[in-house]
Amino acid sequence: MMQYLVILLDDTSVSYCHCDNPHKERRLIGLDDLRMSIRYAMMENLMVQMVYPNYALPQEYLDVIDTIDHHDIVPWGTGDRPVQEPDVVVMDGLSGESPVLRNVPYVLRITKAGLFKSVDAVAQLTQQVARLNVVITDVETITDAELPKYREVLDTLAEVVKAEYLTGCAPQLNLLTDRMMLDKPNHCNAGVENITLAPNGRFYLCPAFYYTDADDNVGSVAEGLDIRNPQLLRLDHAPLCRHCDVWHCRRCVWLNRKMTYEVNTPSHEQCVMAHTERETTRRLLANVREKATFMSEVEIKEIDYSDPFDVRKEW
Amino acid sequence: MAKNITFIVTKDCQLACKYCYLVGKNMKERMSWETAKEFIDYVLSHESEFPEESVIWDFIGGEPFLEIALIDRICDYLKLRMFELNHHWFNSYRFSFSTNGINYHTPEVQRFIEKNRDHLSIGITIDGTERKHDMNRVYKQPSTDPNGITLSSDKGSYNDVVRNIPLWLKQFPDAGTKVTISSTDIPYITESVLHLYSLGIHQVNINVVFEDVWQEGDDSRFEEQLMTLADAIIDGGYYEDYACSFFSEQIGKPLDPERDNQNWCGAGRMLSVDAAGKLYPCTRFAQYSLREKRALVIGNIKDGINQNLLRPFLTLDRVTQSPQKCLDCEVASGCAWCQGENYDAARTNTIYERSTAICLMHKARVRANNYYWNKLYRKLELEEHREEYEKNHRKSNPEIC
Repeated sequence: MMQYLVILLDDTSVSYCHCDNPHKERRLIGLDDLRMSIRYAMMENLMVQMVYPNYALPQEYLDVIDTIDHHDIVPWGTGDRPVQEPDVVVMDGLSGESPVLRNVPYVLRITKAGLFKSVDAVAQLTQQVARLNVVITDVETITDAELPKYREVLDTLAEVVKAEYLTGCAPQLNLLTDRMMLDKPNHCNAGVENITLAPNGRFYLCPAFYYTDADDNVGSVAEGLDIRNPQLLRLDHAPLCRHCDVWHCRRCVWLNRKMTYEVNTPSHEQCVMAHTERETTRRLLANVREKATFMSEVEIKEIDYSDPFDVRKEW
Repeated sequence: MAKNITFIVTKDCQLACKYCYLVGKNMKERMSWETAKEFIDYVLSHESEFPEESVIWDFIGGEPFLEIALIDRICDYLKLRMFELNHHWFNSYRFSFSTNGINYHTPEVQRFIEKNRDHLSIGITIDGTERKHDMNRVYKQPSTDPNGITLSSDKGSYNDVVRNIPLWLKQFPDAGTKVTISSTDIPYITESVLHLYSLGIHQVNINVVFEDVWQEGDDSRFEEQLMTLADAIIDGGYYEDYACSFFSEQIGKPLDPERDNQNWCGAGRMLSVDAAGKLYPCTRFAQYSLREKRALVIGNIKDGINQNLLRPFLTLDRVTQSPQKCLDCEVASGCAWCQGENYDAARTNTIYERSTAICLMHKARVRANNYYWNKLYRKLELEEHREEYEKNHRKSNPEIC
């Protein structure tokens, strides 16, 4: 069931996920489109998530935005703060500066090379903010030869998280703590639970589909939502993922389509990275439990594969 | 299980059959020896990627025998390299051809057959009576359309094919022919199957086209033809030594969503290469086979197969791609699909949307099929031959591609 409407307020609105935003020129969403999309969200009972560019919006836009309860996703930046109290701050790479707002979730978009190089800075950031979502922007390029390095990086982060847990803190780092908090899949669910409105007034499964091909839309506010083969976006129509218990995996339908040409099929690279995170989480949980009673109701089973495709015949 | 590897050696054919799914046939795209050799070298040097016990080296066109010199060279090289590499496919291979039969008698083709006889399967396509065959299987015009695409003439090919049937059956007595039925062919099904039997062809593999070509009332006409055919086969005693794939005891049953969830089609488990060295999960995904969609290329002879692009094919199951009406269908077994046609007809660029254009035709077939087996078994029981028949009768080949 659709629950969220993501509104990209400008062509340069910050990307908060895998796909880079290629747009460099400012183009605000039309004020009428914004009003209509808010009206649409109200009528469809959708929670709105406004995604901001790195500049202050005209007051008339802020007035319209304020007509609906919403969340604000803003870029970390040196320009004018677009809103006073954001709900999510997006960092495009590490800036070297400390975060100002400590009670707000942060998204860190970073390449795998950036993560490998700056794991200590990422660990520090994990300790500084309420929640850190690390989004690796080049998941699709990881090779099997690089996985040991990724394991090493996750182990480093796991040591920091473990130390925090043992001092009574509860850090949230999506790569390592989400899986242990979940008792069911928590995928992105683009096109199933959320839909994106772009500045051109058209709907997309998610911002990445807009960034990649503006013609790849699924309707408009005026014409209504028109998702073809919507069942293929659902978990029960994903032959690999529906058997998988890596519940924190984003199951990114954009990456799926980019890599395998099908929205319901993940690539090898996505699977092995997510399974590496699952395995580190499993060991983190065991390590913490050696020192203290911790989440005793959670069980993450040991498995001997890193890509469910390799064991598909066992189902 | 055998790996099926197909060389699309040419996109040219002497014919321009009216029902042909190859919408982009042309005379330009002929495979070069260099491309064929590079592909063979790639496949044979990646033995671990092809663990299947045996291999079928398949040659398709267009008309493959137009390129018999190239094919002969390819087959010689395959045999040589499989031997030199001590490849696990050496002595576990077949060369397979589906031909229109026009060049079958030529010295070049006959020399090739003689040379490779023990590892060869050849199917000649003949659609039935002269009238039925020549309705669709016509020669192409000498000129092409502005895009280089072949055009149909009015000249039928029956006589040029049927003259080669005796030679073919002498060399391959168990060979079967493949018959394709579209809307206009329905009235001629019975006479065509009986005609093929009369030519000495014991195995008639016949199927309706998967494309959405069907007209209102076709299912009733189809059912009527199959009922007539059933009577003719049973009353004429053909069931002892002849088979027609329309009639099968396995079809027309409900399917369990878990136990019977396998994909029908072998796309992705097969591999095809074209003249440009592009690799496909099946020939049906090459551009010349597609009306609406762009070719689905899974690699090329230089870089090999992109394994990520095979994942959707190898995880595809019946339930995920089928609409609810197919899952609820009480006569679902035997209802086939073609992954390439599904892809071409889908509303999005997916192989996960099953086309149901043949739904009514399948249901008509099931009704006639039930009639056939009920009538046949009653006759055999009365003659006390049922048990013997069940043990010994010629089984239909479920292969439809």
